[in-house]
Amino acid sequence: MTMTLFDQFLSPTLFKMPLIAIALVSPWLLHHVVTTRFSSERLLSVKKVSVSALTKHIFQPLGPLGHKWALMFVSLFMFLITLNVLGLLPYTFTPTTQLSLTFSLALPLWLATVLIGFRLDPTRALAHMLPQGTPPLLIPVLIIIETISVMIRPLALAVRLMANLTAGHLLIHLISTGVFLLTSMMPMTAILALALLGLLTLLEIAVAVIQAYVFVLLLSLYLLENV
Amino acid sequence: MLSRLVLLSASSLKGSGPIGAGVVQATRCLRTSSQSLAPVPPLPEEGGKVRHGIFPEEFFQLLYPKTGVTGPYMLGTGLLCYLLSKEIYIVNHETIYALTIGGIIVYCVKKFGPGFAEFADKIYEEQLAKAEAAKESSISILAKSIEAEKKEQWRVEGRGLLFDAKRNNVAMLLETNMRERLHMVTNEVKRRLDYQIALQNLHRRMQQEHMINWVEKSVVSSITPQQEKESIAKCIADLKALAKTSQAQAAA
Repeated sequence: MTMTLFDQFLSPTLFKMPLIAIALVSPWLLHHVVTTRFSSERLLSVKKVSVSALTKHIFQPLGPLGHKWALMFVSLFMFLITLNVLGLLPYTFTPTTQLSLTFSLALPLWLATVLIGFRLDPTRALAHMLPQGTPPLLIPVLIIIETISVMIRPLALAVRLMANLTAGHLLIHLISTGVFLLTSMMPMTAILALALLGLLTLLEIAVAVIQAYVFVLLLSLYLLENV
Repeated sequence: MLSRLVLLSASSLKGSGPIGAGVVQATRCLRTSSQSLAPVPPLPEEGGKVRHGIFPEEFFQLLYPKTGVTGPYMLGTGLLCYLLSKEIYIVNHETIYALTIGGIIVYCVKKFGPGFAEFADKIYEEQLAKAEAAKESSISILAKSIEAEKKEQWRVEGRGLLFDAKRNNVAMLLETNMRERLHMVTNEVKRRLDYQIALQNLHRRMQQEHMINWVEKSVVSSITPQQEKESIAKCIADLKALAKTSQAQAAA
């Protein structure tokens, strides 16, 4: 069967049985189980240090109410970064390229932050709709704009992650197809395209890490507004 | 990591009927780690030896007796040729990408591997150093308190001497006080007695003076003028005689 460029994004199935559950769960096998040993292996000690640094960085501005979200955010970050980086290996499926996954992560978390805001201090939560110091003429327009911007946040979060990764993977496939086809016809162009592919791969690694971080950071900012 | 799955499934298999028991016995030779968790087995110092970064050294040792040194390499090459020729693995654009990312991964591991390992080891060293420092500080605190205790015991030995000295001091003070009082008493008594003596002396003197005065008065009053003349004439005659004798002595 001919492969189109988008077949890499099909949710994997084996004889019509969906394998997405395995695709989501099996990356966890690669993470060390946190032990109660005094000293741990190199990877685990570096992971401990980096996770604690990340937690401190994200949760310093948040108050004690926000610290309840620490486990959620850190595990979300580890989940996303693992899925993204593993998806960069050849012949792997990246679950975060599915809007179903990213949207189902983004919408409940965003909604939770908004509801927490309205529950704790409804006046302040509503006041976010109008930034300080706006001229009175612009107030009606600005309220509508701010409401729309708040409503669009889950979609933005989901689509940002999905689009970045999908675009990256598509580009990689396009350029590697180009290299593959050009090696027989125009070798020098193929080498140039190969160099481009190398740079693109480096970029994709960076994007994979950054997008996971940005997802979690934005959620923490939404929480900071509302907590 | 898959050994974790094995351990987990093994514990559930053991209880699951006859098949579980049979599997447990049959796979006994495949278990390499110790099957108990206490005492906690130590972590190995070095990781497993690998050749070319991925293939474990044990694989090469396994094939060495039968195929020698080049055995595993021939196996690898043959396997690759088989996969390619039978079109089990097809060279497509993913291969190019696999080569690219493989190259990037190898480059990163070679370049940043030692630095990363040093960083991880430093974390461990710091942890160990903190624990050591805590241990050392508690040892030094305990040693200092032992020293202080010994000093206190030495001080307690000297306490007896201190009390003796204080007791002597107090005794001396009491003695001094008593002597002072005795002295005072003696002085007072002597003063009283001196007064009495002075009084008696005064009496005697006054009596004596009175008697002398009375005697003089009576003697003076008893001298008649006749006696006076006679005594004066006697005195003149004595003086003349004396003058003669002295003149004679002076001429001699």
